[in-house]
Amino acid sequence: MPSTIIEWFSDNGLLFGLALLDGLAYAALVFMVAVGLNLVFGVLRIVNVAHGSLFAIGAYTAASIGIFFASLGLPMWAGYVALVLSALLVGAVLGPLIEKLLLRRIYGHEDVLQLLVTFALFMILEDVQKLIWGVQPIMQDAPMKFLGTVDIPFGDDFIPFTAYQLFVLPGVAVATLAALAWFLRRTLTGRVIVAVTTDKEAATAMGIDAAKIMLLTFSFGAGLAALGGALASPTTSLVPGVGASTIVLSFAVVATAGLGQIEGAALTSLMIGLGRSIAVYFAPEFEVVVPYIIMVAVLLVRPQGLFGVLETRRV
Amino acid sequence: MSTPPVTAPLLSAKGLRLAFGGVKAADGIDLDVMPGEFLAIIGPNGAGKTTFINMSTGYLRPQAGSIEFDGQPILGLKPRAIVRRGIGRSFQLPQLFTEHTVLENAALAVASRLGPWSPLTPLLRPAWREEAMDLLERFGLAQVAESRADTLNEGARKLADIAMAVALQPRLLLMDEPTSGVAAAEKMQIVETLVRVLRQSGVTAVFVEHDMDVVARFADRVAVWSQGRIAALGPPAQVLADPVVQRDVIGISTHA
Repeated sequence: MPSTIIEWFSDNGLLFGLALLDGLAYAALVFMVAVGLNLVFGVLRIVNVAHGSLFAIGAYTAASIGIFFASLGLPMWAGYVALVLSALLVGAVLGPLIEKLLLRRIYGHEDVLQLLVTFALFMILEDVQKLIWGVQPIMQDAPMKFLGTVDIPFGDDFIPFTAYQLFVLPGVAVATLAALAWFLRRTLTGRVIVAVTTDKEAATAMGIDAAKIMLLTFSFGAGLAALGGALASPTTSLVPGVGASTIVLSFAVVATAGLGQIEGAALTSLMIGLGRSIAVYFAPEFEVVVPYIIMVAVLLVRPQGLFGVLETRRV
Repeated sequence: MSTPPVTAPLLSAKGLRLAFGGVKAADGIDLDVMPGEFLAIIGPNGAGKTTFINMSTGYLRPQAGSIEFDGQPILGLKPRAIVRRGIGRSFQLPQLFTEHTVLENAALAVASRLGPWSPLTPLLRPAWREEAMDLLERFGLAQVAESRADTLNEGARKLADIAMAVALQPRLLLMDEPTSGVAAAEKMQIVETLVRVLRQSGVTAVFVEHDMDVVARFADRVAVWSQGRIAALGPPAQVLADPVVQRDVIGISTHA
């Protein structure tokens, strides 16, 4: 038996290494979306189905700004400015707009209504995307080209892999994780966000402006989703539907990790990202279902998710 | 802002009515709370005691009636605006943020009173820490200041929860069952601490209580709630001796 495993690896090792690298880069993107979704659910108690649209709009906006910058003759590194600008724009404009016009009106309503409203928002944003950017694929890969590729030694061979996917994507994800953990635990605003998550009524009784915290959190989560989309944009050509596939995957991550866990969301993103990527290389017919197989397997054993704690309901 | 004469009530509720479906949680509540007094609310479960607190703090809006605080109408104000006017509350179950230390909890309340702050303001400013520590000392909680809130026993949790409400420097504090769940042996000591700190701070208090010994010893007046109405109101010695109150209220609620 061991000899067959060794044989398998000598035949497929290179492919396996590539799957790991791809999975890592993919996990980083999934994490950016899932952690925002998790944060928003924790504070607003709304499952935002349209969260994936913010990812898509972030991606399209980044590509458009990037293409615009290139048309001005700006150097390639300006593509990175485009990525950050896109996230800031979506977080600062679209986030507050959605929260104030729509979500604010459905806080505390039945789950079904909230799901229908955010699903409607998702449909609207999908069409808005098509109106603005059309249905033709859009590609802007300057940020990825700018850094070139790295040859990663793997056994006797090398895997050429883009430095962007190897360093930038996981780097931003790890930095986001660390910054978020620090912000939520070490700053007053972070603690207030946790306080509103734990008990909105008690936080209000302390004079905390829960409405402002909810606006801030939603906009921040929207910005994170957009940053995820912006970071993804150089690695792929953008087509309608990219938002839908992202949201479904990040739902799987949040459900598997359990609610309110940012480190848990990171580990689960890694698990699901790697699982999906290995499936892409070795069992492509299972690519779509692998994340859900992982999710169902985890939830069967731990219904509250890998890292979730069962909530004790207050009367 | 004119200062009302000392005889004017601090909180004045008139004709409060609120029904949930067919249940009358408030069926014409008239109550004046005088500055500096300790008013106990007793009555069976479901009589509308918590509803009164929720209406007075903006969590529920009555269908009819008015509530004035310090001569100003407060109905329709949001809970946060009412907190800013000087009405604090504590909940039946302590609402401490359990993964914080007791000191962090208290400092959060101090910071929230002093507000506003920038997004990157650190968790504990020395001034907040100092004030929070001072407050915890007054509540006898100094030795558990660095413990996580979820490691406290029920009595200490109740006190810490009320300390947070006091950190907001309310003029009136509404407490929903400050001794529920506290072991009988601890109860008197907890209430004694509570009353001492509140009196020192000049806070007027309304508290829902099931323990008649606590009521008899610490309340200046008692209001008896029954089916959304105030059935009796007066000094504890007089109200608790009333045979109707003894039969309908104390008989029912001694289990709690």
